[in-house]
Amino acid sequence: MHTSSKLKSEFIKKWVKGLQICCSSKKNMDFLERKKKIKLCADIALACAKNSTSWSIALISEAKKHDENKTLVDNLLRPESQIKPQKTNHQMCASHKRVRSKKILKKSHHVCQRMKKMGPPKSNIATYIAKRLVKKRTQVLKRLVPGGESMDEFSLIEEALDYILSLKVQVDVMRTLANATEVLNQSDSSIFD
Amino acid sequence: MLHCHYTTMNIPGNTSGTDVSVLERQQARMKWQQQQQEGLSNGNDHRFRARVEIKPDPDLQYEWPDFSDACQDQLIPPLMTDHNVKKRKTHEDYKQKAVSKENGVKDKKIKGCSDENSTETSLKEKPKVVETQKQEYIHVRARRGQATDSHSLAERVRREKISERMKYLQDLVPGCNKITGKAGMLDEIINYVQSLQKQVEFLSMKLATLQPRLDFDIDSLIMKEMFEIPAIGYSSEVANSTYFQVNSLLEMGNSPIDTMLRRSTGGPVSIPEAFVLSSCFNQMQPGVTWDGDLHNLYRMEIQQESTTIPFQPHKFTGSYEGSNLKMEL
Repeated sequence: MHTSSKLKSEFIKKWVKGLQICCSSKKNMDFLERKKKIKLCADIALACAKNSTSWSIALISEAKKHDENKTLVDNLLRPESQIKPQKTNHQMCASHKRVRSKKILKKSHHVCQRMKKMGPPKSNIATYIAKRLVKKRTQVLKRLVPGGESMDEFSLIEEALDYILSLKVQVDVMRTLANATEVLNQSDSSIFD
Repeated sequence: MLHCHYTTMNIPGNTSGTDVSVLERQQARMKWQQQQQEGLSNGNDHRFRARVEIKPDPDLQYEWPDFSDACQDQLIPPLMTDHNVKKRKTHEDYKQKAVSKENGVKDKKIKGCSDENSTETSLKEKPKVVETQKQEYIHVRARRGQATDSHSLAERVRREKISERMKYLQDLVPGCNKITGKAGMLDEIINYVQSLQKQVEFLSMKLATLQPRLDFDIDSLIMKEMFEIPAIGYSSEVANSTYFQVNSLLEMGNSPIDTMLRRSTGGPVSIPEAFVLSSCFNQMQPGVTWDGDLHNLYRMEIQQESTTIPFQPHKFTGSYEGSNLKMEL
């Protein structure tokens, strides 16, 4: 668990820093805006803390697309920001190429198979259904994991693993903070009662 | 029992094994030598040449005398496949890079198999070799009674990889021990990821409601607590636990907060409270780990919130003494 505690401390440092940056830019946000900012900061901080995985890179590059987040992302990424962009582009290009070529192959393969399948194979219907299920679910998973669209099945599972771990960390930290704030607020209110 | 030790390759590299593959190996070597010359003539990096030159020697050394080793390997299949998996995992990226950098010397279906020796040398030369075009090979064992052509072997490799990852996921996702199929596992994973994401949303909403302003966090929380004297009894105990909690969150980086807290314990609070604060604090401070005590803290808080009677902490001797002191007050 030592790695996760290290990740936790990294995450919370970056998160606090990000929130301070957010707050300095704009005062008096309403509830929904605040919530969005908190969530955004948390996500970006997590992705920055977990620097070398593909989903985090995808998240960061996704966030960078919006100009308002750019300063935030750059600040949070600062120690590694020089290395990051090149790696991102290269990796994304490579993965896109890979995926595109695979998709072309798959498509032609599917077409051929469908031509064949018209006739006999009612015997294999169980496997056919199972494969359809798996395919549908991998598609859903691809949508859930950030950057999952451009990944083949194997790396998708790896990324999902990693993503689950980091989400757990995020939830833990946020929950502690929320509880701490809640308790302190309660104690505050009990003073004045 | 005879097992065929068979290696998949489209670019011939090395095979070792039984009679059937000897012919193939010879053919492979011929082809590979041709390719080497092609590669050299195409004017690739000098490093590529260096790699290519290194390759044959370990192969040759490996192949011939190592029938015994191969046999031994076959007797311990799981080890070998684990080893392979590790190799495959580390080299997968390199493989992709090699493919993408190719200029047409090799065809697209480069799978390759990695040699024991060559991976060792490659690991040593790792920083340079990664950048160059590296040929990689995957050892695949064709079991008795199973197809041995390259397609089905590649399929099996892929399936094994995926099933291994699924095992890790089973450990990670709660409640997945009974599910064995790929579709079911994927379903559980999807549900879990969705639930975690929703939790994050909900918690961020909660934090937004709890805090009027966004720069909240630890600084403001602690500042508030420092300068407003907490009420005697219930809340100070809670405040201590939260201090500690929040402090442990930031223990890595934020030393000014630490100093502020320590000063506050001797600060403008009444004496019994100072005693409570400092005693709790000092006793909690050393030797606390994040994970172990977090659950205790949660339990403590929940109990405190639900009942006002003094709680029974499981591991926290410090807080127990604190509560005793409070009772006396």
